[in-house]
Amino acid sequence: MSFFRVLRAEFLKYFVQQFVTFRTAFWFLILPFANGLLFYSMYLPFSNRLVPLNALGFNVAVDIVGFTLIGQLLYTFFVGMSVAGVQFDNERSQGTFEAMLLTPASRMAIMLGVLFAAAAQYLWLIIGAVITFLIFFRLPIILNDPSALVLSVFLTYTALVSLGICLEAVFIHTRRGVMLGTMLQEPIAFVSGTILPSSAFPPLFLQLTYLIPLTLGLISVRLILLAGATLGDVLLPVFGLLAMTLVLPLLGKWLISHAEASAKVQGTVGLF
Amino acid sequence: MLKQVPKCKAQLDFSRKMNLFWRATIASARTKIILYTRFLSLTGLGLSFLPPLLNLGTAWVLYNIVYHQSTSTNFVSATNSSDYFSFVVVGSAFFVYVVATMFTLGRTMFWDRASGTLEAVMLTPASTLAYMTGSMISAFGTATLNLVIMVVLGTLLGFHLGSLNLSLFAVGLVFMIISLFGLGLIVNAVTLYFRDRTNTANTLTTLILVFSGIVAPLPLLPSWAQVIGSTIPFTYALNLLRQSLIATTSTASYTDAVLLIITSLAYLATGYLLLYATVKAIRRRALYALF
Repeated sequence: MSFFRVLRAEFLKYFVQQFVTFRTAFWFLILPFANGLLFYSMYLPFSNRLVPLNALGFNVAVDIVGFTLIGQLLYTFFVGMSVAGVQFDNERSQGTFEAMLLTPASRMAIMLGVLFAAAAQYLWLIIGAVITFLIFFRLPIILNDPSALVLSVFLTYTALVSLGICLEAVFIHTRRGVMLGTMLQEPIAFVSGTILPSSAFPPLFLQLTYLIPLTLGLISVRLILLAGATLGDVLLPVFGLLAMTLVLPLLGKWLISHAEASAKVQGTVGLF
Repeated sequence: MLKQVPKCKAQLDFSRKMNLFWRATIASARTKIILYTRFLSLTGLGLSFLPPLLNLGTAWVLYNIVYHQSTSTNFVSATNSSDYFSFVVVGSAFFVYVVATMFTLGRTMFWDRASGTLEAVMLTPASTLAYMTGSMISAFGTATLNLVIMVVLGTLLGFHLGSLNLSLFAVGLVFMIISLFGLGLIVNAVTLYFRDRTNTANTLTTLILVFSGIVAPLPLLPSWAQVIGSTIPFTYALNLLRQSLIATTSTASYTDAVLLIITSLAYLATGYLLLYATVKAIRRRALYALF
């Protein structure tokens, strides 16, 4: 069974089922816009309306709107990836999950198909929230190296998709996947620098946050877009993202095979 | 000779009606509390704390570490206090009632239908409003435990009480409950009629979180956001609760009180009408059962 045919079939299945639903509109349009406004408004009570951005030798103060908007753009992609595995819960409740795992289809193709469908839902955000933000707020951008921006955004998304593969294994392993995937969101939003400048954290804690792909993506994209950094300035986070893009799928593949074997042994594939 | 069949409804006097109403209310509240404790999920409990905890954590870091407690004059004049962290503690603590309204009270009949008990409840002569009032007592009772935890946590991190105004606090609290009960009835009608498990609750919770001034005073938000916020009674309730708890001077805002009373009663009336309209509609359309 061709890898790409399985991937395409899975993508189309979930795209048709999910793309035009209120649930998608909530997760990819309403929630990011509302969160953006919420976290933007948390900066308004202070006398200084600029956010300190200290990373990789840069020590600048950036505008709240740009800081918040970039945070929400990348964070929403992370949210989409972290709950993409909910599709497997749907399969389970429809009674088709067991049949799907009985086919010889590549598990990685299935996972990627689901993740690509989740990524396609991101169009809601791009079309809706970004335009709304651009209409209602002024967005100051200092872009000196467009290629660095493209590479950073691309690698952030690929690293998050790779992380999504690992998280999907949780949904196969346990029926509490939705709960666990949802529980990740607020802590990651807090520690990754989505809402707060990461310079506010203690140095040791800050080092640990670099293990999250979202943190590296936020540092590089914010520096490129808001502080005029070039590719040479953000090489470190870009290489980090590249490493995660290459390593995490291997880990994900092992986790998925382990989760599938474990679910079959424990009999948790069916709905009962 | 034919015996006259007693018409229970006609023969019941007001006190008996009230007695039945309270019995149904208490029974409903007891059932919901028993169900809550029996199926208590620690992950679910933790999940309900995460959004307010995120607000609290973010506010603490911004106030103490990033901006070194330097709030703007606009903030001080809008809130009558310069303590931003205490401002967010009060907002986040009382926000637990909004979550309870949306996810517990607002889905009462939805879950009853899912568990197969709604039809049986509707066959009894108990008042539907009493049934929902009991559900509200249960939901707000358990939410109060969350509020206490939030306040304790906030106190450990630096929450300070200002000049306490008990009468203002009582007005704010009572009408907050009335308005949220009305909102809960509206959400219950929507979730029941449209069989919507999460979307309505999620969307309204998010909108209230953003537009009712939980993390920033409404006058600091853009004008269009202020317009949306002014339609939510919780905004006025929070203003009064903050005035009564953390303001440095104990001046009462009568405008907020009047607007809170008006909007609360409007929400309650809408919720009441929608409750009966929905119950009637789903009975006619045979939507009580789960199929």
